[in-house]
Amino acid sequence: MTLEAFQNMVFPVKNKLYRFAFRLLGNNEEAKDVVQEVMIKVWSGREQLDNIQNMEAWCMRITKNLSLDRLRQQQRRPTDSLEKGMHLSHHSLTPAEATELSERMKRISELMAELPEKQRQVMHLRDIEGYTYAEICEILEIDMSQVKVSLFRARNTVREKLQKMDAYGLA
Amino acid sequence: MDLHEVERLLEKYWQAETSLEEEQQLREFFATGQVPAALKGAADLFAFFQAEQGKTIGQNFEGAVTKQLKVRREGKLISMIGLQNVGRIAAGIVVVVAATFLIRQEIRKSYPKELQDTYTDPQMAFEETKRALQMISNSFGKAKKEASKMQMLNEAEKKIQSKSDSDKISI
Repeated sequence: MTLEAFQNMVFPVKNKLYRFAFRLLGNNEEAKDVVQEVMIKVWSGREQLDNIQNMEAWCMRITKNLSLDRLRQQQRRPTDSLEKGMHLSHHSLTPAEATELSERMKRISELMAELPEKQRQVMHLRDIEGYTYAEICEILEIDMSQVKVSLFRARNTVREKLQKMDAYGLA
Repeated sequence: MDLHEVERLLEKYWQAETSLEEEQQLREFFATGQVPAALKGAADLFAFFQAEQGKTIGQNFEGAVTKQLKVRREGKLISMIGLQNVGRIAAGIVVVVAATFLIRQEIRKSYPKELQDTYTDPQMAFEETKRALQMISNSFGKAKKEASKMQMLNEAEKKIQSKSDSDKISI
């Protein structure tokens, strides 16, 4: 496989890989490092790429494994806020409204970071990346029922916390 | 989409029973911004998802990875992490060498003057060495004389001892 063919095949998924790594690690630089490692790993094994049915899911799986390896090595949970670098359109908002929205986004980001690892992964892959259940099974190497249960629990936890946020305010 | 339909889909969403198409309909509804106060929490959540989808790894990434892949193709992998590690090791070595040099300088300063190399002229150094050796040789000579006196005394003591022993036996 030529470098150009490889770039055309793998580079388009770089942002998905980055967002997933970032969701797992909570750190911008580490997420970039992981995506770079994924690219190098896939390039090194390019002779076997013909046997891979879903290239994107395979790259996402490698991203997950490398990110979790890093977390295990550091024995930590993601802590950085995902609020940094958000691209929200604030055109029609007053400065006060924009600040409030930014605070709420930060709070939601924290809600997701507080979810158990599997639930966080499933919710990210479904609600942010829009993968099918079958693709999530392939990426996370778990069965369909686990995917559905994790998604149900994640969404319900987030729903409850959002209701509390609305009832008691951001503080 | 009317509000009833939105609420119905949203309930399905919380139960993790929506299809990707239904989730897309919800995204589109919340993206309009015309959301009743009762659905503010859900609106925030979907706004968060939208913001997350816009996150990208950065423009320089492809160029940096391409360089890495080209190097890799040539059989020489220099990863960013590897370079960082090499840099750390090199910095460590520089610190150790500098510390050793400084400590050595300090130790030299604290040496007594006699131990320092003060002669730059080889002939003068030779003469001084000869003088020092001569002095040691003289001292050895003196010590030898004193030692021979001691030997005489020892022999005299032995003779007296043997004489007194033989007197005791005869009595």
